[in-house]
Amino acid sequence: MAPAPIFLAFASGDNDVRGKQLVISNINACQIVADAVRTTLGPRGMDKMMVDSNGKAVISNDGATIMKLLDVVHPAGKMLVDIAKSQDAEVGDGTTSVVLFAAEFLKQVKNFIEEGVHPQVIIKSFRKATELAVEKIKELAIKVRKDDVAGLRSVLERCASTTLSSKLLSANRDFFSKMAVDAVMVLDELLPLDMIGIKKITGGNLEDSLLVSGVAFKKAFSYAGFQMQPKHFKNPLISILNIELELKSEKENAEIRVENVEEYQKIVDAEWQILYDKLQSIHDSGAKVVLSKLPIGDVATQWFADRDMFCAGRIPIDDLKRIQKSCGGSMQTSAQKLTKEVLGTCGDFEERQVGGERYNFFTECPLTKACTLVLRGGTEQFIDEMERSLHDAIMIVRRALKHDAVVAGGGAIEMELSKYLRDFARTIPGKQQLIISAYARALECIPRQLCDNAGFDSTNILNELRQKHAQGAKWFGINVFTEGIADNYAACIWEPSLVKINALTAASEACCQILSVDELIKHSKGGNEYEAPDALPGRGRGRPG
Amino acid sequence: MAAMGQLVFDEFGKPFIILRNQDKKRRIVGIEALKSHIMAAKNVYNTLRTSLGPKGLDKVLVGPDGDVTITNDGATIMQEMRPSHEIAKLMVELAKSQDDEIGDGTTSVVVLAGALLEQAESLLDKGIHPIRIADGYEMAAALAVKHLESIAESLTFSKDNVGALTDIASTTLGSKVVNRYRKELAKIAVEAVLSVADLEHRDVDFELIKIVTKVGAQLEDTMLIKGVLVDKDMSHPQMPKEIKDAHIAILTCPFEPPKPKTKHKLDVTTVEEYQKLREYEKQKFEQMVQQVKDAGANLVICQWGFDDEANHLLLQRELPAVRWVGGPEIELIAIATGGRIVPRFEELSKAKLGFAGSVKEISFGTARDRMLVIEGCPSSRAVTVFIRGGNKMIVDEAKRSIHDAICVVRNLVKDPRVVYGGGAADISCANVVAEAADKVPGLEQYSYRAFADALEVIPLALAENSGLNPIEAVSEVKARQIKEKNPRLGVDCMHKGTNDMKEQCVVEALIGKRQQILLATQLVRMILKIDDVRLPGEKED
Repeated sequence: MAPAPIFLAFASGDNDVRGKQLVISNINACQIVADAVRTTLGPRGMDKMMVDSNGKAVISNDGATIMKLLDVVHPAGKMLVDIAKSQDAEVGDGTTSVVLFAAEFLKQVKNFIEEGVHPQVIIKSFRKATELAVEKIKELAIKVRKDDVAGLRSVLERCASTTLSSKLLSANRDFFSKMAVDAVMVLDELLPLDMIGIKKITGGNLEDSLLVSGVAFKKAFSYAGFQMQPKHFKNPLISILNIELELKSEKENAEIRVENVEEYQKIVDAEWQILYDKLQSIHDSGAKVVLSKLPIGDVATQWFADRDMFCAGRIPIDDLKRIQKSCGGSMQTSAQKLTKEVLGTCGDFEERQVGGERYNFFTECPLTKACTLVLRGGTEQFIDEMERSLHDAIMIVRRALKHDAVVAGGGAIEMELSKYLRDFARTIPGKQQLIISAYARALECIPRQLCDNAGFDSTNILNELRQKHAQGAKWFGINVFTEGIADNYAACIWEPSLVKINALTAASEACCQILSVDELIKHSKGGNEYEAPDALPGRGRGRPG
Repeated sequence: MAAMGQLVFDEFGKPFIILRNQDKKRRIVGIEALKSHIMAAKNVYNTLRTSLGPKGLDKVLVGPDGDVTITNDGATIMQEMRPSHEIAKLMVELAKSQDDEIGDGTTSVVVLAGALLEQAESLLDKGIHPIRIADGYEMAAALAVKHLESIAESLTFSKDNVGALTDIASTTLGSKVVNRYRKELAKIAVEAVLSVADLEHRDVDFELIKIVTKVGAQLEDTMLIKGVLVDKDMSHPQMPKEIKDAHIAILTCPFEPPKPKTKHKLDVTTVEEYQKLREYEKQKFEQMVQQVKDAGANLVICQWGFDDEANHLLLQRELPAVRWVGGPEIELIAIATGGRIVPRFEELSKAKLGFAGSVKEISFGTARDRMLVIEGCPSSRAVTVFIRGGNKMIVDEAKRSIHDAICVVRNLVKDPRVVYGGGAADISCANVVAEAADKVPGLEQYSYRAFADALEVIPLALAENSGLNPIEAVSEVKARQIKEKNPRLGVDCMHKGTNDMKEQCVVEALIGKRQQILLATQLVRMILKIDDVRLPGEKED
């Protein structure tokens, strides 16, 4: 056995790595982290499978998901994980690109560091380069006119489809990009993400997935009597409650002293009366469908069944919120004074079989500010990955709707930026020139990786692209399907410009941060185990002594 | 590259740690990962291959507690195998989702996926990019499914004309251990589904079909009860064993003095008071029984129990009762008899009672256990399949088989289109895909051919399991299909002397077959797309 590894020298207490050596060491670590997601990029990108210690496997193509599951402990590596996460939160897509950008920037400047260029010089030039690149993107981006409804829609669909092309769903991307756009179009101006419910049912074909413009959720746990309730309504009134409709002791700690036996009956009657009053008032309000966040017991179920009403208890709060949004009405925490005004309605309510499950569907809603995606697919892992991919697509559509400018994907924008920065670098004197050209070179990592993943000759294709861009064909990028280059704007491979702006800014900021570190001091509790502090989860965190 | 993930050294020769427990994690990348996945999938597929078809053999699975399962059902085998390999687990899920969605064809889907992966392996060796293989498969699958739809025939059936449905159900049962008795079981399955089916909405609620098993007697004694079977007996041995024209009160409240839910306390301080309490309880019982009688009920089914005193009283007042009936059964009884579940005695009324033509207690052999059969209900929307059999394993397998058959019939109620079985549909698709292969430009051509080859694996396995010479049998059928343009020709597994599956009545639901092809392709794509696997290392303890 080889000698036990010295856990990062600087972590073990003796700070013999600092300054230049530390920067280089950090850069190397970042390269390795980036390697984990490198091959996921593009339509020919591959997936990663991670198995955790409980044996649960996750299969994903999503950069942020992979980074999260890698469980990186290296401080510089963690920074890359963070930018992937923030890209995911901010834009929702381009998480792999951002990591690749950052790693490539670092790789390009490693030589300069080794040769003794001061990190601050690099940082300064990087900031300048990013600024220029972002401006250039803004200048190049093609605005979409919002008033042109059909045009806007096709732009959105293309953006979604570009995102999906690298995922498992790529063969059905037309279908799903339409779905993603439809889903987002249903929402109101704020585009709240939680108003799109995603339900997963294994089994079925991908294209059996459906978008319910309304709400759908799984049949809740039901008590005896449920089967006798009607399962289909036209224009029912819906009451949304947060009340427990169960026969139970009204007050938790109350105790009754019964003086004589006759009183027994009275108390029991009183208890029933409380429940019946509640039920009666719900019934009187005219509601036909009763939904509650809290359980609805057997007595209530049977009572409703007797009166041809439908009820479902223990509905997840998210689903109830979506029902509120699409059917109107408001959640009641008391059965008193239930009036028609607080009830929602929908055109059609039905319980239907989907795969092996029974689902409740609320459709033809008057407000329709919420929708539900019912995803079907072979296995659980497959559907999970589908959900992540659709999430990305939905985020992209949302972003594109807010910032209605697009650029061509498939490496086209990167090549154009690279050319622009190279040209710019030649106009300035000093070290900056070198570093900005390094930045320009680093931008080419995306098209190069796209080629490599598809098994193309990247050097050759990049040269062709450089030539095209030098001739002024600014939208030329890689066409993975024909193993050549093509005008990707014409080929409808579009991405919202914001994705690129955000990716570049985040990546260069992360680089600057990594470069500006020259010493690392690590408090290790007890021994010099690198992992020690994190090995005890939650210890002393947020808990006042 | 493969060694990466263990330890990394920087320029200064120092190792550094990037991931938690990095030295313990294992990682496989690139083609090596793909090969190992395909290997695992092939293992699973080889296990299942031999249980395909009417002459397929069963597997014995011994669980961790020593319990034995004998089955031919793909999904059950897969689940009981409990593989530890990730890809094998995916195959299990695949079988499961076919089971959830269609309920039948679980073996075929796994075999198809395995065959596709096996073919992919040789394509990978040719140096084709895995995603292009998957793309090709998907295009081929789309073509195959389209072809399936074009050769599908629509089945006509109605509540009175069930011949076609029975044929299909018996095909499904053909491969199971119960095939000796498959005609009768098929009839039971069809009748069960049709009695609960909503033919207008094409909806079948499975919760209305209950399958009850009991070891003993023979498979032939399996029957369909148009009503409910409850594994309970009358609360008192002297109560009548059979009640005609039963008016049933279905109660979810116990036969005892009402108790408040709120915490309460009663202090009994004197003897008189104690007497009063006794008196009160007795009076309550009387009152309750009277309420039931007043409503006109002659049978009480109670979700909860009652004590011996109440029991005695009920006997005295000639009111037969059943106690401790579970929630789902109560519900089924209510649905079948058209009664309402009554939560308290005060609410009992004539209108809320259920009606059954006969309620009978039946006993089995010499065993002392009895069951209650509620039959002759006004709405037969709840049915029970009562399975008998020589031993537990047979009964369990029969249950699974009937479940499969019921699922198949349900699928046909949903979508009445069928394709012919015995490998006929597979061979027909394979022919079409192989023909199309020559017209496909680009590398996908190879995937098309591989896909066609993989489709032939099912008929090959069928032939092999039936003791035929697989290559000979399949190639003959293939040639005839092309020559006669007859997609109904399949492998003659039963040695009946004809290859026309229409004559043999071997049919499968279109949605089942379609689902198999799509699900298998989907899974294969997923597996082919993985090029990097990170596994946690061996645990230290």
